[in-house]
Amino acid sequence: MSDENKQDGSILIWLTIVAFLVAMIAIFIYVPTEQTEGAVQRIMYFHIPAAWLAFFSFFIVFLSSILFLWKKEREWDIYALASAEIGVIFCSLVLITGPIWARPIWGVWWMWDARLTSTLILWLIYVAYLMLRAQTDAGSMRARLAAVLGIVGFLDIPFIHFSVLWWNSVHPQPKMISEEGLGKGMDPSMVATLMVSLGAFTLLYFVLMGQRIKVEKMKDEVERLKKDHLYSH
Amino acid sequence: MNGYLNQVAAIVWKDFITELKTRELFSSMFIFALLVIIIFVFSVNLSIVGAREIGPGVLWVAFLFAGTIGLNRSFMLEKENGCLQGLLLAPVDRTALYFGKLVSNFVFLLIMEAFILPLFMIFFNIDLLPHLLPLLYVILVGTLGFCAIGTLLSSLSVNLKTRDIMLPILLYPLMVPVVIGSVQMTGQVLSGESLSGMMNWVGLTLCFDIIYIAVSIMTIDFVLEE
Repeated sequence: MSDENKQDGSILIWLTIVAFLVAMIAIFIYVPTEQTEGAVQRIMYFHIPAAWLAFFSFFIVFLSSILFLWKKEREWDIYALASAEIGVIFCSLVLITGPIWARPIWGVWWMWDARLTSTLILWLIYVAYLMLRAQTDAGSMRARLAAVLGIVGFLDIPFIHFSVLWWNSVHPQPKMISEEGLGKGMDPSMVATLMVSLGAFTLLYFVLMGQRIKVEKMKDEVERLKKDHLYSH
Repeated sequence: MNGYLNQVAAIVWKDFITELKTRELFSSMFIFALLVIIIFVFSVNLSIVGAREIGPGVLWVAFLFAGTIGLNRSFMLEKENGCLQGLLLAPVDRTALYFGKLVSNFVFLLIMEAFILPLFMIFFNIDLLPHLLPLLYVILVGTLGFCAIGTLLSSLSVNLKTRDIMLPILLYPLMVPVVIGSVQMTGQVLSGESLSGMMNWVGLTLCFDIIYIAVSIMTIDFVLEE
């Protein structure tokens, strides 16, 4: 690892820290409390960025999987793994923050609403993806199988989206916050806070990716050294 | 093209002969599907919940659970006896292998379903005969979608340590669109309405079948690489 690379990494980390500080100040001090929902509405500034990151991560898994099958380079396999892990973490955060918001607003923790259901299924797909990786020994086989699942899983998302949407339209549900909140009727200060939070989370993604990729490469290096020095006699 | 079809047919034929000799797969799939239906009957009170409301769901859960047994066996049998190596060494295209397995899984499942349907009719007291044609279409499309992605994942999970556990974990979340679609369409058909009122579901399940067969053709080479 060159010094220049290290420098880049620490700049990104500091940038992320600053972005999160700004986002925290915006979320808890600057932005006014929503009138009807109260303080709990502030969870949206974590919920939506986490959801965005989850989807973004899964898209990166998809891209890296295709590139791996095409180029057969370990690099892309590492990217897919790192991104899938980050995606599952943020998808879990979405599934945790959602019910915390829903309990006081809807009166129930969970509703089989289209968006909730498809997020849950998405989470299951990528947990299965990580399980598949854990079940196979390191090597080209694991990378290939995981890449195929990464592609198959992502292509399922539009099907899941529409099927869950139509499935639920049979039973009418209360409107989701995003239907009324995101587009219209949202205070500019709220939009600004959301944007700052989105930016901070996106920076966090790249920090986490960088760290995870570093760890995985280190693992490879350790493996290689072990092979060279321990088993050669 | 003819040669390719012959290769596919040879693999299907091989699976059929094995099944005719052992008769393991069909009997276990059939009994398992029957058990699923019976357990569902116990878990819901049919005098409160209408058979027409719960029926399509129970039917598809039975099909899919029993179908998973078939998918699990499909490649495991090859792996156990070292036949997979032989199949891979055979001078056939990997996609021919996929299609052969797809067809045999599909046909085994259809045979099982053909035996389950009359029992379902009796247990749930639903007359299927007037709706047989649209029902047949729904079953064909739903089962094909299940087998298309199931065969790919079965060839994938056979390489894992806990293959029989991992297949359902990988398969079921991906199957959600087909399950919802098939159950919705079956419900529509059983209530005597035509499928033309549900063209969105018809389109979605058909698209699912086509896309996943295409994806499998493109990726099977990477899965069955030694």
